[in-house]
Amino acid sequence: MTSLTSDIKQSRRSFLKASAMGSGGLMMSIALPGCATLKNGGVRQEGETEQWNSNAWLRIDSDNTIHFVLDRVEMGQGTYTGMTSLLAEELEVDPEKVKVSFAGVDSVYRNTIYGIQITGGSTSVASSWTIVREAGAATRIMLVKAAANTWGIKESECIAENGVIINKSNGHKLFDQQITFGLLASIAATYSVPSDIPLKNKADFKIIGKYNKRLDALKKATGTADYGIDTELPGMKYAVFTRAGRWDSQIKSFDASKVKNMPGIEQVFAVNNASAIGIAIVAKTYWQARKAQRQLSVEWHESELDNVDDASIFAQYKKDLAQDSGKNVRSEGDIDNALENAAEAISAEYEMPFLAHSTLEPQNCVAWAKEDSLEIWVPTQSPDMAQVAAAKATDYALSDVKINTTFIGGGFGRRINQDFVAEAAAISEISQQPIKLIWSREEDIQRDWYRPSSYHKLSATIDKNGDISGWNHQMAGSGVFDYFVADAAPAQYPFMPKFMYGLLESAGKMGEGIIAPADGSIYEGAEAIPYDFANINVDYKKSDSGILVGNWRSVGYSHNGFITESFVDQLAAQQKKDPYTFRYDLLKNHPRAQAVLKLAADKAIWGTPLAGCTQGIAIHKSFGTWVAEVADVEVVNNSLKVKRVVCAVDCGQVVNPDMVVAQMEGGINFALTAALYGEINIKDGIPQQTNFHDSQLLRINEAPQIDVHIIESDESPTGVGEPGVPPLAAAVANAITAKTGQRFYKLPLKLDA
Amino acid sequence: MIKLTVNGIEHSLDVEADTPLLWVVRDFLNLKGSKFGCGAGLCGACTMHLNGSPIRTCITPVSAVNGQAITTIEGVGNPDKLSTVQQAWVKHNVPQCGYCQSGQIMSATALLASNPQPSDQDIDNAMSGNICRCGTYPRIKAAIHTAANNLSGTANLKNDLFTNIMEAK
Repeated sequence: MTSLTSDIKQSRRSFLKASAMGSGGLMMSIALPGCATLKNGGVRQEGETEQWNSNAWLRIDSDNTIHFVLDRVEMGQGTYTGMTSLLAEELEVDPEKVKVSFAGVDSVYRNTIYGIQITGGSTSVASSWTIVREAGAATRIMLVKAAANTWGIKESECIAENGVIINKSNGHKLFDQQITFGLLASIAATYSVPSDIPLKNKADFKIIGKYNKRLDALKKATGTADYGIDTELPGMKYAVFTRAGRWDSQIKSFDASKVKNMPGIEQVFAVNNASAIGIAIVAKTYWQARKAQRQLSVEWHESELDNVDDASIFAQYKKDLAQDSGKNVRSEGDIDNALENAAEAISAEYEMPFLAHSTLEPQNCVAWAKEDSLEIWVPTQSPDMAQVAAAKATDYALSDVKINTTFIGGGFGRRINQDFVAEAAAISEISQQPIKLIWSREEDIQRDWYRPSSYHKLSATIDKNGDISGWNHQMAGSGVFDYFVADAAPAQYPFMPKFMYGLLESAGKMGEGIIAPADGSIYEGAEAIPYDFANINVDYKKSDSGILVGNWRSVGYSHNGFITESFVDQLAAQQKKDPYTFRYDLLKNHPRAQAVLKLAADKAIWGTPLAGCTQGIAIHKSFGTWVAEVADVEVVNNSLKVKRVVCAVDCGQVVNPDMVVAQMEGGINFALTAALYGEINIKDGIPQQTNFHDSQLLRINEAPQIDVHIIESDESPTGVGEPGVPPLAAAVANAITAKTGQRFYKLPLKLDA
Repeated sequence: MIKLTVNGIEHSLDVEADTPLLWVVRDFLNLKGSKFGCGAGLCGACTMHLNGSPIRTCITPVSAVNGQAITTIEGVGNPDKLSTVQQAWVKHNVPQCGYCQSGQIMSATALLASNPQPSDQDIDNAMSGNICRCGTYPRIKAAIHTAANNLSGTANLKNDLFTNIMEAK
């Protein structure tokens, strides 16, 4: 299967591969050379308007409307603004004047880091940093040439600015006159794409690093942004889908006799394929379908999960890890020697829970099975995996499945798994009409692909001088890779016939860590422990719980940020050192980390907590970005309140500073939900939480003041959507420990009585 | 037949009495700005005003509001005619995924209509029924204060808070 590997050698984009690799990463990265991806699409006549597709991302109309095809979905993280800014910077237009549309499926839109068309791993800006600017710059160069030829002046005498080219040829009769991009488009369309596309120097940026508007704010403040759930089609019907409590259960029988005569009910039928198992009810309205669902009774076969619960899962993790420490993912010095010569060892065990994504827009999908094609409208983080999921669940060929994407009411990794697409596609095919499938909140929480639970054993050795000589971290849990490779592997090879999908899935699984990046969803962040200990050992034992798992905002870093930074605090206490200076000194090989840590400590006035509070600090690197957070926490009468979080971030070159601030704020509040409330408990194989009363999300009265400080940097941009999450729980926990002495080895945080 | 006045416009609808108001507004009147989040009155994404007070429409049977006046996000304003609250929302770049923001703006608008100069505590009390999974709370709070400032001394509070309600026939 060597053909799975990218055979493309070196390119100016190869830096991307190193920059922002998270475990959302699936297959190999495909770095595309030069501007092979920029193909002049030529001019098309559409009514009165001539449209020039200058490349796959950009269309300029004769009326000077600029259209940008956004190939990373907008789920709150700001691609709509950030990516448009990159294009506008080089094209020389006002970002607000650019009309943004969402891309369909095309290999040209693949994420260069993952090799599939996925929005995840905080990679959008990092993976598109060059190509989208090139798309804008190449087009501008062609427009300038068109203007120069029109006026008979030199290209260097033309200036592109705000959607027009200005004649700056001294003494020319049309000096200072201008022509719009739109009027030049049909001429520019006759040129070939330049082979050399110089990009602006940082000093010349007008938008990048400066632009502070959010382009989708107006739509979202007026209820006019169209989400998947808002899709309307002529003759569309509504579907609800009844699934088993245990995801692997098969249908034994169902009784729809009470359902069929209820108002509005059109069809009730079983769906049974690899990715969608359950009973569909199709009705004229959503409420009719939902109400009828209560009258449906289904019997399910026994499942392998029947006797699985939290206790059995953690017992399995511990047993598996005790038998075999698994794969070594970091080894420095000699940990065995450090243990042998240790005067003392400090140990701790951590248990991390399953976590739900709880996107506020429940999973949904509109599917329309037509004679020759299947069209899908869906809020998804991966349009090409959605295409695979739809094709697999139906008799349609992959090329006959068309995917339309929409604004997304929260992703956080949930919408990388495409089960809702498979369901809707199958239901529409059987129903033979367009249907909108909407999940209830209960279904959304109980049939999630959770952040995996995991078990961690840490120990540190203290040598005879009293110094820390070793760090040993061993852990066990499910890997998320196994749970989405089935759709991801075929998405990379759209030319493969469907009967090959099983083989591709097996090849993908076997190739994990070889032809595909290793699945770090349990250990990422732990293996990269940045502290300067002489002996470091980190092991991961894969132990599959059988519960559905997936990527959850910041993935493995989400728990390892908490675990490593809690244990480091415990070591600081053992060493009788201040938690800040202890970290700072041990980070001597990471100057960027030191700068971030210091900035957070300085801005929070470390050592001087807010009135009634104690402080905790934590730092973690994820998706290429360092984030440090200082939490000021008040503990009164066995309850805690996070008053303030001060955050410092180094994400390299910033595109939109306010968007970075917003993502840190959002990441902190997202992480605070997990710290205070987050857990999905399993009993008899069934997830127990159902809605926001027993799976609480942070509310405004619990939200802290958040101050964000950004390190000025010329380095390549790295992720911002996720890195705010990992340090938060540890910063809060460490602040509580500073007050009460209680240390936390589990989340959510529960204060001792 | 159910009668509703939505954003000043009267409607007569043939709809089952127990259908939640949310689905009637979204799927019968095709006003999609109000969102479905939980179906249990726990998240506030579906918030509309009933005679000026915020209600959770995912658990409000349409029969319970028969003959009454409903305001939705579409009545608060539109992209060409923003209300004071919506202007503040745009200024502060409040939305991230944006899915909860219609509900947030409905709750904020109701708060300011009854309490044009709210304290942080007032805001917490009025807004704690609206969940934002993206965690935009600091900006929601800042935007409400900005809107309150811009409303101080206004001649017509209602016109500033609702720019798109048709005159009832």
